[in-house]
Amino acid sequence: MQLAHCMMLRLSHGERLSGLGSEMPGDALPMSSAVPFSAAYRPLAGLFDEMFLEDGRARPGCEPIAQAIRSSPDLAVLQAMAERMLLRTGVTFNVYGERAGTERIFPFDVIPRIIDAATWQTLEAGLIQRVKALNAFVADVYGEGHILKDCVVPRDLILGSPQYRRGAIGLRPPHGVFITVAGIDLVRGADGRFRVLEDNVRTPSGVSYVIENRLMLTRLMPELLRECRVRSVEHYPADLLESLTELAPEGVERPTIALLTPGPYNSAFFEHVFLSQRMGVELVEGRDLVCIDHKLYMKTVHKLKQVHVLYRRIDDDFLDPVVFRPDSLLGVPGLTAAMHADSVAVANGIGTGIADDKAVFAYTPQMICYYLGEQPILPIVETFLLRDPEVRSKILRDLDRYVVKPTGASGGYGVVIGPRASDRELAEARERIESNPSGFVAQPMVKLSTHPTLITDEKGAPTPVPRHVDLRPFVLTGARPRVLAGGLTRVALREGSLIVNSSQGGGSKDTWVLDGPC
Amino acid sequence: MLRRVASHLFWTARNLERAEWRARLADVNYHLLVESPAASSDGWLPLLAITGERAEFSARYPAADEQSVLEFFTIDEKNPSSIRSCIGLARENCRALRNHISSEMWFEVNTLYLDAQRWSAATFHEYGVYEFFFELRERFYRIAGVVRNTMPRELGYDFLTVGRTLEAAENVSRLLDVKYHFLLPRPNDVGSPLDLSQWAAVLRSASALEAYIGTYGNAIRIDKVVEFLLFDETFPRAARFCIDRLEAALERIAAGGGEGESVPGARMLASRLRSGSASAVLGGGLHEYLLGVQEDCARISDEMFARYLRFE
Amino acid sequence: MRFRVRHVTRFSYQEPAYESHNELRLKPRESPHQHTLAFQLEVTPPAAIIEYKDAFGNHVHAVSVHEAHRELEVSAYSLVERTEPPTLEGLTHPFGEFLQGDSMRAQEEYDFLSASRYVPFSDPLKKLFWMVHPRMEEPVAEYTRRVVAWVRDQFSYEPGTTNVHSDVNDILSTGAGVCQDFAHLTLGILRLAGVPARYVSGYLAPRGRTRPLGAQASHAWIEALLPEAGWTGFDPTHGCLTTDHHLRLAVGRDYGDVPPLRGVYRSPGTNYTMGVMLDVGESGDFDADPQDPGATQQ
Repeated sequence: MQLAHCMMLRLSHGERLSGLGSEMPGDALPMSSAVPFSAAYRPLAGLFDEMFLEDGRARPGCEPIAQAIRSSPDLAVLQAMAERMLLRTGVTFNVYGERAGTERIFPFDVIPRIIDAATWQTLEAGLIQRVKALNAFVADVYGEGHILKDCVVPRDLILGSPQYRRGAIGLRPPHGVFITVAGIDLVRGADGRFRVLEDNVRTPSGVSYVIENRLMLTRLMPELLRECRVRSVEHYPADLLESLTELAPEGVERPTIALLTPGPYNSAFFEHVFLSQRMGVELVEGRDLVCIDHKLYMKTVHKLKQVHVLYRRIDDDFLDPVVFRPDSLLGVPGLTAAMHADSVAVANGIGTGIADDKAVFAYTPQMICYYLGEQPILPIVETFLLRDPEVRSKILRDLDRYVVKPTGASGGYGVVIGPRASDRELAEARERIESNPSGFVAQPMVKLSTHPTLITDEKGAPTPVPRHVDLRPFVLTGARPRVLAGGLTRVALREGSLIVNSSQGGGSKDTWVLDGPC
Repeated sequence: MLRRVASHLFWTARNLERAEWRARLADVNYHLLVESPAASSDGWLPLLAITGERAEFSARYPAADEQSVLEFFTIDEKNPSSIRSCIGLARENCRALRNHISSEMWFEVNTLYLDAQRWSAATFHEYGVYEFFFELRERFYRIAGVVRNTMPRELGYDFLTVGRTLEAAENVSRLLDVKYHFLLPRPNDVGSPLDLSQWAAVLRSASALEAYIGTYGNAIRIDKVVEFLLFDETFPRAARFCIDRLEAALERIAAGGGEGESVPGARMLASRLRSGSASAVLGGGLHEYLLGVQEDCARISDEMFARYLRFE
Repeated sequence: MRFRVRHVTRFSYQEPAYESHNELRLKPRESPHQHTLAFQLEVTPPAAIIEYKDAFGNHVHAVSVHEAHRELEVSAYSLVERTEPPTLEGLTHPFGEFLQGDSMRAQEEYDFLSASRYVPFSDPLKKLFWMVHPRMEEPVAEYTRRVVAWVRDQFSYEPGTTNVHSDVNDILSTGAGVCQDFAHLTLGILRLAGVPARYVSGYLAPRGRTRPLGAQASHAWIEALLPEAGWTGFDPTHGCLTTDHHLRLAVGRDYGDVPPLRGVYRSPGTNYTMGVMLDVGESGDFDADPQDPGATQQ
């Protein structure tokens, strides 16, 4: 009898490197008998393809990789191996709305996404500039409020935002850093230019996939990785730890750091485990913590141990029932007072959501000029505030050409894509907008760039086809900024789909930032 | 180590031990009934007496037949102590522990959990009761092996030990208590084949038959069974062996915190078992003695919670 | 005029409480007409206390008591210098002219012109507003005074009809309430009219020798931002301007921003009683031996 015969059983944690022996590349893998990759692959007309020009030639800089992939062992075999490894290592996320404890694999595509050194250099500078300005903005709106007094950003937009936290006023985090971890979503339109689609500066997730994806390709394509001189991503946890350490209250030389999770049922619990493990810090829940005399402690078996820096992955509203939602059991009563007492630093700080409010987003280029006196290096996707009656009537006339987003939500929830929406969906969106105009923004639909992605065709053969991708790089800020080379490339696996969110049928790719000219 | 983490470790071990123990109890009872069909009419009742679940069982099942008891005992999700429930609890505790246990341990526990999710009443028919429990036992041995071979001997391991040994000592004590009560009141049976097979079954429930024979020879005598299961210091399922390990683990935990004395209940019970003998406890009333052991176990649990695991 | 305030709040818990965290807003804030000469806070059991300012510039004391306790007593002592506030005389800025600055004020005074938790812009409130809407030639100060007096006349003061969590809709449906409700209602009307208005918590010092008992000296009123005059106090419960006996503690959008005491604690039990003893009097005329806090079952 077999109790364990179903493949589903492998949906679990348990990294078994030893068990992979015979499946590792280099062993007798079947060589590709299919048509060469680049011949089979056709970029879509009118879109920017990340790897190939319209005539089928690889983009400058991408030739070696296209060539290497072409001549490498069958991609399908690598893909199958990647999927097996994923199931074993248990890189999973929880899905809301499904049975408690449901863990899913985040689909992975074996063909890496390439960013050449020069492009990355610009991106990196643009990201640092952007996060610097966002940090200055958050510190300003919870401090003196200069940008509001100078009417660069309308005050009512800030004070009326559901993300504005009056409880954060007067808090002065070390180095003025509110946003320690930022995930900036970038897209590339038909012109090939990177634009910012949205910022994620509350508790952005996804970085664990970046590291796991790389680990996978290190095993599957070690030679190619080395040959292309791809920049490493594995130091991210160390960088995060360093950034957090730099936020320690004055006079604390060896701070105790902890990562606060809502618990095993959170969709990103895997990442919380992953990061705390890699950083070597304690993974805590609210009930592990207690504030005594305005200091934060964790309850260990033998004693209370003071915590100096808390990397929290729970929302503001649940952080401290004294100041925020009084019914919250996830947080720590008295934490805000401890922050006022400067005995503990919390990253990201309270109220950072004001900087990724989708209406405030429209003003980010002005923020960069205002705080840094510089022109934005990275443009943003044009964003219209529907609270402006003139703008609103113009957009509502052509609603089917725009993407409408609720200002307060994240994760792709509540987004209506005009060109793909039914008449009924458009009518409903129109109604929602008219009843609460300031709750929505509109952006023109960006025709996201495509990237070769391995999809099983109707004959059951995995074939590289163009699929839409975006990019979420991660920017850390402690005493100084640190950017993870590359970031999370998300790919919409369904044909024609523009939604890359993991909760809605998205997958991911490893992102290769090349260290020099190929 | 966080109190919550220690607590999860304790409950993981305790629930795994309970699940394993129940699997063995059910298995042995099944065999006993196969061998002596005469007793099968109410042959499943003693099983429920051992675990103290008779009332809960009869509230939801009309008859104590084999299928009903096995279902209640093994797969019934409404029964918080069914094997499936115990595995579920162990898995929930492990889930929050992924930083603190080996990935191998998580893999084994999670795999067992996922399998248990697919158990149904039909499972016994499909595989046969014997096959089912045989396989299940293997799984528990595998988990035990993984724990032993992948977990560093640190504080966390001590809490695993405390949970496991406390559960095991309580279980063996309850087994003896109930069996003694059921088997002795019929003087005619003493020395009869039925009686012997019953006591052999008691030993087998603790996987102790072979070890017993190795120590005392083929003759199964009640006083020797009591001596072996309660006071043997070499057999891993004997109460004394368990409590010795428990005491040592609690002493290491106390020393780690610079505490002068470990939890007092553990020292008391350990010394009580070290100085006990079957002849003395049978003379003075086995039931009272075992009650004392169970009370001590409960006290240890309380004291340990107050000292190391309580959150508030 | 100088006032002494002694404000004692005592919680008695049926089962011991522990991990108690509270935010206090008991230290009077400064204004051109009111200065805090001395302030002292005592908490038993002994507690760790830190002070900071909140979003509206109020003094906040964060108080943390970790050990188990059956009673928590918070005593705030203030010595306050209060001068007679100016009258509305000479304030003639007409509403029509005032409205020209409306969009600028909507930005600058956003918090005090918007709906808030206890002051939602509900349909009943809007209807009420139309019954007392401003006339274009009417001075803003005069309009504000008219609203305050009108609210006093339309609604009756009846303790017990509403509770501490009632919003404007509650007083609108019952037609009666206490100072907090009168204040919320007035805020709603003024905000709908475009006059920035904020909630004030404080004390009303008794005149002469009558001295209120229990929490009766605790009071709430409003301030309106008037052209030419700045923030000006009105007391809707009495239908008039504030006087030199209105002692301000804190200001906010509504009651939710300024409760004198707010916090959480852990306890195996849920029952507690809260008693408040308030003694407000002119300086030098102060009981040496205060009465026991009166107990009210929560």
